[in-house]
Amino acid sequence: MELFTPEFGLVFWMFIAFGILYFVLAKWAWPPIIKGLENRADLIDKGVAFAEESKRQLDGARAEADKLLAEARQQQAEILREAAKMRNQIVENAKGEAAVEAKKVSDAAIVSIEQARKESEKQLRHEMGEIALQIAEKVLRKNVSTDQAQRELVEQYMKEVKTNN
Amino acid sequence: MKKAITAIIALVIVGLMAFGYWRAAQHGHDPNAEVNPKEIIYEHLGDAYGWEIPFSHDVRIPLPVIVKGDNGWHCFMSSRITGGETYEGYKISESEDHHGKVVQVLADGSESRPLDLSVTKNVAAILVAALVVILLVMKVRNWYKRNGMKAPRRGTALLEVIVDYVYTDTIRPIMGKEAPKYAPYLLTVFFFILTMNLLGLMVIFPGGANLTGNLAVTMVLAVITFLVINLTGTREYWKEILWPDVPLGLKCPVPMMPFIEILGMFTKPVALMIRLFANMMGGHMVVLVLMLLIFIFTSMFGAIVGGATAVFSLAFTLFMLALDTLVSFIQAYVFTILSTIFITMAHVQPHHHE
Repeated sequence: MELFTPEFGLVFWMFIAFGILYFVLAKWAWPPIIKGLENRADLIDKGVAFAEESKRQLDGARAEADKLLAEARQQQAEILREAAKMRNQIVENAKGEAAVEAKKVSDAAIVSIEQARKESEKQLRHEMGEIALQIAEKVLRKNVSTDQAQRELVEQYMKEVKTNN
Repeated sequence: MKKAITAIIALVIVGLMAFGYWRAAQHGHDPNAEVNPKEIIYEHLGDAYGWEIPFSHDVRIPLPVIVKGDNGWHCFMSSRITGGETYEGYKISESEDHHGKVVQVLADGSESRPLDLSVTKNVAAILVAALVVILLVMKVRNWYKRNGMKAPRRGTALLEVIVDYVYTDTIRPIMGKEAPKYAPYLLTVFFFILTMNLLGLMVIFPGGANLTGNLAVTMVLAVITFLVINLTGTREYWKEILWPDVPLGLKCPVPMMPFIEILGMFTKPVALMIRLFANMMGGHMVVLVLMLLIFIFTSMFGAIVGGATAVFSLAFTLFMLALDTLVSFIQAYVFTILSTIFITMAHVQPHHHE
């Protein structure tokens, strides 16, 4: 049966045809095609790698940004807290100082009042003594007959004292 | 609308193909005479001198007959002998031994088969197929040369998809770095087989020759693959054949494993050869048988039964032709991928033992 017993002529021509076909295609056609396919595969691979790298970088940048933002927030909170603390302290300090000042002022006032009081007391005493001496002098100088007359006299002197003051 | 037109064109083409087979099956036989299916089938699956034009069995395109008998080389057109004539002492044999082949009529009247390098129908079809492959692949190549990275359009895109699939998705993943070196051979094999398969399914002129359904054609392809496998095989490949890693008793003194491995060297290409041959021949044969059923039933039960069979046969033929188109692609791909795998297996590097 011809189908199962290969004809020599057909085998011969098939070898020739395949040889020519292979020679022509392998020399002129396949290398540029394969190169094109390889280049395209490379391009796609590179594109994918680039995209992945970009994504990675973007993710990194985002993480960085998030970190910075969180840090900034924390710092902000800290600064605010610090500021509040400082304000309170300043207020406290000011209050303390004011109290001390006020106390100083009042103390000084008290001292001076006391001094003035002592002074006036001293003066009063002194004047009282003088007045008493003057009265006594006058009484001694004038002969006082009646009580009435004495009383008037004293009152007159008292008036004098008052006006003297 | 465009889709409908495409569908109609496809249907017409397939219909024409079926019609061709029908005419082929019918031809030369009186519808009332006894039908000899075997003879008809083998005639149509086999080779011939001269290329018959479809729908007219008697008109043949003459092809050169090249023979070397005991009186030297002879070269003449096949039209000189296809009518049954004898030319320069050569004729087409009617005898049992050399049926349908050119023989030299010797002085004593006996026939002897000369060295026959004739360009038969199959040879011509092979050359046509080679030419078609060159034209198609050159088209893709020109496109790559001119446009590089851009996506191709229309017909080139279709070819490019196939090239890309075979190379990028099949050869490259299997062979890795070696792919560019062996891809030219593998891609050539793929496109050559595919073109021969598809041309074989066509009835209209440049097709119709049952090429890949012929053992000679698949044998040549398998032999080339065999040569590529064994000529490029590494030292490790030969070591694994001649001195495999098996217990000593299996390879010495009786070299049982080496024997099996050497057998394996040959079964691989033989499997390639027979798989492609049987698939393609089977497809053609089924179509022919379906068509012949019409005439067998007509001669047995009359025209009405024959007519009814025609409807059934045609439907199945259309289905078979569509299936064979699919098989054409699959078998071309299978031959290529198996060749790729076998070649890669022959390039095995020594593996490290613990």
